[in-house]
Amino acid sequence: MKFGLSLALALMLLGSSACSHRKTYPLQGQVIRTSPSSGEVMVDHGDIPGFMPAMTMAYKVKNAAVLQELQPGDKIAAEVVVSKDGNDYWLEDVRITDESRRGKVKPVESHMLMAGEKVPDVPLVNQDGQTIRLKDFSGKAVLVTFIYTRCPVPTFCPRLSSQFARIHNELKTTPDDYSKTQLLTISFDPKYDTPAVLRKYGLAYLEGDASGFSQWDFASTKEADMRRLAQAFGLDYQEQDNQISHTMNIALIAPDGTLVKSWSTEWTSDELLKTLRQAAHRSAKG
Amino acid sequence: MRLGKWQVWLQLLSLGISPVLAMTACSRQQQTGLDPQEVSAGEYAYEVHCEECHEQPHPDLLKQPPNLHGIFSRKTLPSGAPATDKQVRNTIIEGRGTMPAFDKRLGNEELDELVRYLHTLK
Repeated sequence: MKFGLSLALALMLLGSSACSHRKTYPLQGQVIRTSPSSGEVMVDHGDIPGFMPAMTMAYKVKNAAVLQELQPGDKIAAEVVVSKDGNDYWLEDVRITDESRRGKVKPVESHMLMAGEKVPDVPLVNQDGQTIRLKDFSGKAVLVTFIYTRCPVPTFCPRLSSQFARIHNELKTTPDDYSKTQLLTISFDPKYDTPAVLRKYGLAYLEGDASGFSQWDFASTKEADMRRLAQAFGLDYQEQDNQISHTMNIALIAPDGTLVKSWSTEWTSDELLKTLRQAAHRSAKG
Repeated sequence: MRLGKWQVWLQLLSLGISPVLAMTACSRQQQTGLDPQEVSAGEYAYEVHCEECHEQPHPDLLKQPPNLHGIFSRKTLPSGAPATDKQVRNTIIEGRGTMPAFDKRLGNEELDELVRYLHTLK
């Protein structure tokens, strides 16, 4: 079973007490794709003893020239480097070991997206019971996050929604930005978070002003589609005892429906707002 | 053979890497450090479910949750609703404003104990 876990892994590494100094692990795998804009390569790799089981996931390659050499299908060998503080990991000493499969790589059906890739266009149902799709927001920069309304941990969903509320309030002050941007909060608890529940939740964060729903949707989707979105955006969630443990993920989607950037560790409202505005302005320039 | 998701997590745990840190913990109980044998059921429920927001609100929250000390010594709750057991129970179950609903998370008995404990907070 393959799944994208790279950003969650970065968080996991934060808690690692095993990384008191820089560590390296040998990797062997096949390039699935590269993303020059984010400086990453998606690799389908074998077991990395002591670091990671066989899976398909994205790794940063700090040397842009090396990244440029890599083509989908290339077999590579490299060193996975984990930083001294355990907060980061990347590839070094990347060598192409076999070019014979170049261009013959099979597309990976579900995987964690890299910058520049099209996001899945799954149907969602919003707070008004209307079916919406990400492509409905074509031409706008879209900031997406994932929550469940009963989340009781103030540093998780309540914080995410509070930050989105601040971003929404800021965008409202500049009509040009407001019309070119969209906020989207997606619940991964569709059984409980019905449109009515999402509407009530949204109104609380819109401070009672329902007109804000035009630029900030609160939506859910079928379980199977939610799992597709979760894989695409690196979200992990599991239900237990009427609570849902989950990672925190935010993604920025460009006006053309491709991923601009995703966050799963550190961010601020100001950073999100700035990046969202930049994406909207790029749209204005065509 | 490729590993399944939970096998991966187990492997990470075996390496001393805690995937739990990447998730919201279900185990607020563990974080409080309270021994449920040493405090009342109501106090325990308060520490587990209420204290984090109502006593040390996170500065990023859009609305700062009210302190609950003395809520039953006034006629009305901070929301303006009457300060009755029924109203407080409804607020806990259904949520209010940005406060999440605790629906299906607290049993009737636990709710009774929690409301009883809230009466003792001065």
